[in-house]
Amino acid sequence: MAGHGLLPDNEYRRLVELIEREPTTVEETIFSIMWSEHCSYKSSKNILKILPTSASNVVIGPGEDAGVVHFTGEGDDSWCIVIAHESHNHPSQVLPIEGSATGIGGIVRDVYCMGAKVVAVMDPLRFGDPDGEKRYRTRYIANGVVKGIADYGNSIGVPNLGGDVYFHQGYDDNCLVNVVAVGVVRRNSITRSAVPHKAKERPYKFILVGKATDDTGFGGAAFASEILNEEETDKGAVQVHDPFLKRVLTVATFKVLEEAHKSGITIGFKDLGAGGIACATSELASKGGFGADIHLERVPVSIEGLKPEVIACAETQERYALVVPDEFVNRVLEIYNVEYELGKVYPGAQATVIGEPRMDGLYRVHYNGEIVCSVPAKTITEGIFYERKRKERKQSAFISGRRIQIEEAFKKVISNLDVCDREPIFSHYDSTVQGNTILPPGFSEAGVIKPIDDKETCLAMAVDGNPRWGLIDTFWAGAGAVYEAVRNVVCAGGIPICITDCLNFGSPEDPVVFNDFHRAVEGIAYACNTIGRLDSPGEPLPVVSGNVSFYNENAEGEPVPPSPIIACLGKIDSIDDIVMSKIRNEDTELIFIYDPENIERIGGSVYQSIIASTGGEIPHFDGEYVRRMINLIIELGRKGHINVCKDISDGGLITALFEMIYDVRVDGGALGIEIDIGCLPHNDETVLFSEAGGFIVGSVGERINKIKNLTEEAGVTFSHIGRAVASDQFIVRRNGTVLVELNINELNELYRQPLREVFEWQAG
Amino acid sequence: MAGRVAVIQFPGTNCEMETLRAVKHVGLEGDIVRWNEPEHKLRSYDGFIIPGGFAHQDRVRAGVIAAKDPVMAVLTEEAEKGKPIVGICNGCQVLTESGLIPGLEPGRVEMAMARNRMENRWGFYHRFVYIRRMPETPDCAISVSIGDNDIIALPIAHSEGRFATTDEKLLKAIEERQLPCFIYTDRKGNTAVKFPDNPNGAMFNLASLSNRAGNVVGIMPHPERAIFRWNLAPIDTKTPNIHSGYNIFKSLKQYIEKVS
Repeated sequence: MAGHGLLPDNEYRRLVELIEREPTTVEETIFSIMWSEHCSYKSSKNILKILPTSASNVVIGPGEDAGVVHFTGEGDDSWCIVIAHESHNHPSQVLPIEGSATGIGGIVRDVYCMGAKVVAVMDPLRFGDPDGEKRYRTRYIANGVVKGIADYGNSIGVPNLGGDVYFHQGYDDNCLVNVVAVGVVRRNSITRSAVPHKAKERPYKFILVGKATDDTGFGGAAFASEILNEEETDKGAVQVHDPFLKRVLTVATFKVLEEAHKSGITIGFKDLGAGGIACATSELASKGGFGADIHLERVPVSIEGLKPEVIACAETQERYALVVPDEFVNRVLEIYNVEYELGKVYPGAQATVIGEPRMDGLYRVHYNGEIVCSVPAKTITEGIFYERKRKERKQSAFISGRRIQIEEAFKKVISNLDVCDREPIFSHYDSTVQGNTILPPGFSEAGVIKPIDDKETCLAMAVDGNPRWGLIDTFWAGAGAVYEAVRNVVCAGGIPICITDCLNFGSPEDPVVFNDFHRAVEGIAYACNTIGRLDSPGEPLPVVSGNVSFYNENAEGEPVPPSPIIACLGKIDSIDDIVMSKIRNEDTELIFIYDPENIERIGGSVYQSIIASTGGEIPHFDGEYVRRMINLIIELGRKGHINVCKDISDGGLITALFEMIYDVRVDGGALGIEIDIGCLPHNDETVLFSEAGGFIVGSVGERINKIKNLTEEAGVTFSHIGRAVASDQFIVRRNGTVLVELNINELNELYRQPLREVFEWQAG
Repeated sequence: MAGRVAVIQFPGTNCEMETLRAVKHVGLEGDIVRWNEPEHKLRSYDGFIIPGGFAHQDRVRAGVIAAKDPVMAVLTEEAEKGKPIVGICNGCQVLTESGLIPGLEPGRVEMAMARNRMENRWGFYHRFVYIRRMPETPDCAISVSIGDNDIIALPIAHSEGRFATTDEKLLKAIEERQLPCFIYTDRKGNTAVKFPDNPNGAMFNLASLSNRAGNVVGIMPHPERAIFRWNLAPIDTKTPNIHSGYNIFKSLKQYIEKVS
């Protein structure tokens, strides 16, 4: 092995070629991080080029810490949404509380450092089987992850507006913890993660602020880019979180940004994530077209005797790097160190000047008079590239399973862990802090907030990604995740403005996995191109940020279920256009809107897993038809024709109907359902349990005819299937013959209990 | 001139922005004031709010470090002059740990904000709840414009919100309705409730408690998060008499006008 063994031989040789000498330890460490899959996207970046990333509303696309899209207002009063989406899978598997907490911590930093106020987080989670062979570990992880997200998110004062959770034994050894953070910023206040151009004319300094550097998270990026081996797991590679310090840092940083903006001072600002000080400062320098001199002996440390490569590259949490002009330096130090007394708030925390930009592009790190790194900044950030092999996956055979009674199947479906009530998770999260929340989780298909005080415009958000689909067909799983996230946003009345993706797969060195990955990206691109932007026809729905997480495997080397996970944001022009998913009134008439071609595909459904069937086709969406449906739903909402709207997904139509009345109390008791599916020309199981998407809308009286006319004009199906009634019965008939007749209270219990049992395990 | 309210910001506070917004929304003036700002600045305000969050990280126990902060000595003196001090959520915990509420013997900690006691669950709990005044109790700084039959819907978000005491004098004072307070109810205002309508197991279903004078008030639910009607979208607001947190802040304004 060449050098210190931090890089594979081929990459080490490449580095020697590039810098024309043997690297120092610090250099080798920096390159091992910057060339990790996590930082360099070396396997994926060519494939990701397929994704549509530009549209007229995109202000900053993928490539910076977070994506930025225009949201509302014009000119000086133009506001943007900032969104970042990442995974923190391996750390959460090893240390669930710390791993998930630092996941939230890292993602909010990505949004803060664009100068934005973080207004929401969401968390798609994938855990192992809580009743399987590794149930104890799985439950420990699931409870720890939820606690970590709650501890951190609740403390920093950012509402948790959504997420989803699936359980599958394929995640037993490798859970997935994805995190999404959303912020708002005035367009003219966006901060860039680059040394400002003005540094050519006048002197600037690098300021490091936050927790004193220690050795935590050293090698974290490389850790994220390897397969987990629990016995050898280096827990030191997991960072340690501190939401309390983060909150104080955030408040103080806002003051810095505000004063800079008011005085017309341009600064550079970047969070310290993978690779710590060295990576953040070299990226700031490189992006601005500069180099830098960084002095490690000036970095405040909380442990003596740290080696220079550790000071340079440890991933100590709660730190930022700023690049500010000399005349602003003292004021910045004063805000952090005097006004907010960082040192008193947290031992060793402070803001310190650690270096300055260089004009010649050279990135130089000094330590006690010695030069320990001297490489052009561009060379560090350029990364490397790999061409990976691809191989088609063998399709698993179709097994038809055994038919069971519809009532029986319904009960099993709503008590399935992928379907049942999510309240035992989301009630641990603060979803109303900041006072901007309109619909927290549980009341709508998407979380909805009004994020800007003097603007009526509301923001809807949702995440999706179905692992049962990923196991069968990654193209349609990718496309399906986009469609479902979009449908959720549309249900709430939101016009989709962008998506982000987090692509969680096994090893890219495995040609089958890599092909799965490639197909998923193609599916996402297909969906974005076919849906397009409803408010700007002809443009694709842009992908503005994202992340690839490879090497998610179990101990036997089998990859996790391919998991393309999508977050979608939507804009709602007025509070009056918001639509809930809960029925509030008895005698609400129910209309089913769906794609009759697609409904027959029940591969990957919960129903299929319940009847022990496997294989088959997952839904293949006709993009054009989906676009017509979502346009229609938006129109119905805006015109006030519907007062409730629900998306069909896990558990199918029957589950969606039940969820619309679950936990709704009207005067006189529970709300019931009476439908007749006689008008739907498919077999009973297909109608009730297919997860091929679609909507149920609710309305009353004269408006039903208006809905019928608009639906026909749009060229989609209109099926008036029944109504909500004041009763405690859930009744499904076909042409008068009863298929299901069950008591609501019994169903409520079946739906309420399963997750409670998984999440009550960690008492106190 | 409108009354001026200081919203106190400790390290770890996280509801200061929306609290200040609520203050201004009802027509009061206000500022966010850092814990370490000069004493004379603090004393210039007509009323004070300690907002929610995790002051000083809730180290040792929720609110206890903040209760020992020099800023609280100043607030105690201002309270003695009759100025209102409202503690919301973490602020309620701080006031309890300071001995300001219930304050039967000022300075003595007579009550605890204990860990939530809930069915089938642990830890932090977020939920919408309904509260109303305990009938026949005196007015306090946040209840002067609220009637006995008004129901207020608000979110709660805490791990330690259970009013608890074994202090005989305090139990008797509450029982005899000497202290202004709000209690958890169901959405129709019925007071005999259990979990989850009483979300944390608080004694007497207490959601809020004041000192005898009514100028120092602790409240666990978050009125500042439900100032606007749209904040109550998840609540079925067709039920008559259901109000938002606006009325709480409106009361504070009225109270300040009366006192100053």
